Amino acid sequence: MRLLKLRRNHYGYVFITPFIIAFLVFGLYPIYNTFALSFTNTTLMNASSAEFVGLENFKRLFADDFFMKGITNTWLLWLLNFTPQIGIALLLSAWFTNARLKIKAVGLWRALFYLPNLLMPATIAALFFSLFQFYGPANQAIVQLGFVDEAVHFLQNVSVARILVIFIQWWMWFGQTVIIIMAGIAAIPVHLYEAAMVDGATGPQMFRRITLPLLKPILIYVFVTSLVGGMQMFDIPFLLTDQRGGPSSSIMTNNILMYMKFSSSKGHIGAASSVGVLVFIMTTICALGIFYVLRERRAPTQRRQEEKVLDPVQAQMAKLKAQE
Amino acid sequence: MMIRTSGQPSKLGLHLTRTFIYVLLVILLLMTIVPIWMLIVNATRSTTEIQQGISFWPSTHLVENYRFLGSRGINLFKGFSNSMYVSITTTLITVYFSFLTAYALVVYEFKGKKFFNNFIIVLVLIPAQLSIIGFYQYMSRLGLTDNYASLILPTIANAAGVFFGKQYFESMLIQDLIDAARIDGAGELGIFHKIMMPLAIPGAATFGIFAFVFAWNNFFNAFILISSFDKYTLPMLVQTLRGDVYRTEYGAIYVGLAVSIVPILIVYALFSRYIVSGIAMGAVRE
Repeated sequence: MRLLKLRRNHYGYVFITPFIIAFLVFGLYPIYNTFALSFTNTTLMNASSAEFVGLENFKRLFADDFFMKGITNTWLLWLLNFTPQIGIALLLSAWFTNARLKIKAVGLWRALFYLPNLLMPATIAALFFSLFQFYGPANQAIVQLGFVDEAVHFLQNVSVARILVIFIQWWMWFGQTVIIIMAGIAAIPVHLYEAAMVDGATGPQMFRRITLPLLKPILIYVFVTSLVGGMQMFDIPFLLTDQRGGPSSSIMTNNILMYMKFSSSKGHIGAASSVGVLVFIMTTICALGIFYVLRERRAPTQRRQEEKVLDPVQAQMAKLKAQE
Repeated sequence: MMIRTSGQPSKLGLHLTRTFIYVLLVILLLMTIVPIWMLIVNATRSTTEIQQGISFWPSTHLVENYRFLGSRGINLFKGFSNSMYVSITTTLITVYFSFLTAYALVVYEFKGKKFFNNFIIVLVLIPAQLSIIGFYQYMSRLGLTDNYASLILPTIANAAGVFFGKQYFESMLIQDLIDAARIDGAGELGIFHKIMMPLAIPGAATFGIFAFVFAWNNFFNAFILISSFDKYTLPMLVQTLRGDVYRTEYGAIYVGLAVSIVPILIVYALFSRYIVSGIAMGAVRE
């Protein structure tokens, strides 16, 4: 009987084999290959005569203002869209789940706010390009309404280009963040709120003292996945303007720089790989670091975790009462 | 029982707050919908109409705009069917293998399982796109560039899919069913194919929608790996629409853009409930 069970558990290996093979062949090896290429001067032309050049590619990157600009741009564009995204999402989630406010048709609002996330980023970039080009509807509107006398070259302006990328990224992602945060709120035991209400806590108080601390794991998840996505931002900034991250490289992200090196006349895939490698290391360290440092170890039982949380909440409530 | 109300909003205050929130929601809604609506409306307007000003009412030039694109060598239908082919194949493959892997992690006990579980979480957080150059060079050595296989096969190992599948199988009570099937003499693969997979169809469909949308929208990989024009997927055609030739034919451009999002809008209108609950399912646990 024991032998039978053992033999059966072997199927575990059989069933995960396709995944492992596909991961090794299409996931791990390309990562290794990218690292290996980054130490060579390989181009698309000299595939057979490429040479090992050590850290030459990396030295050149660090000496190149373009690379630092790409990194700075990417962090800037990500941070400035993530901050309002999480802010608005928390606000909406708090309102949508507030029993006293009783907002109507929550499901519908949520579904509509999420919609942009499903649409093709290439199309969205092209759409905003059309809306904001010189003869586009945005200019028509502001001229017709008399805000300006002459149409504006929106997409040639550094600030406007950045604001548009930030807006589009925010626009595409805040709805999804609302859904995830609301799911996190729904998982918080109701009796915590009931107890707080009996103690006379207000909505904002409950949000700060109960909802936020218990949402921490979810917020970390949103933060880290958004960071990983943000560091690889490509479609929107690439297709919104001149496919080089212009004007003045103001929206040139890491991936755009990598692509530009790849698609240069000779196809410097060695140099392009070194961009990929550095950003890969930076992103992985940040993502895994944040994930494992900030993540609370899950308590062995839900019960124990609730008790642990309940105590500080009650302590806070007592403190608030004492202050009144 | 008396509940103290000091520090709580009064009736009037509550009313004002609610009004304020609804106003804000409507503003957010307009920001969400107006660009998409304009895209669809403009696809039906002639270039002259579009140049004359903004309108939120559809016009009658849809077919004309579509024909113009065709006359310039942009075959939207071809791009559409290419995208459909890649997306549907990717979806079937990634859902099947993700659920197969997830099933193994839920049902069997084996050495290294814990490591593999943690490994899946790490994989979700790895910025895989950054290895695209190594991937490209490797594919070109294998002669697989400009071949849909290079887009489809990597999705056999989809960490997010395994994660999702695990959540789904864990929420089904399955051990009794498996035991019963084993007593009836069913093989392990047979149990998965004939009993568990059919039972997991709601979950597989939900994840399938995400896999489909992701494949449908994927621009970066296709842009790097696919080179011949007749293999272009829709996002690549969208990118060529921005070229100089079309810059003055606004109506035609909007038709091209509309074709790329209308199928998704239809899918969403039909299945939004599952999609919204699916997002929550993938994220809540960790």
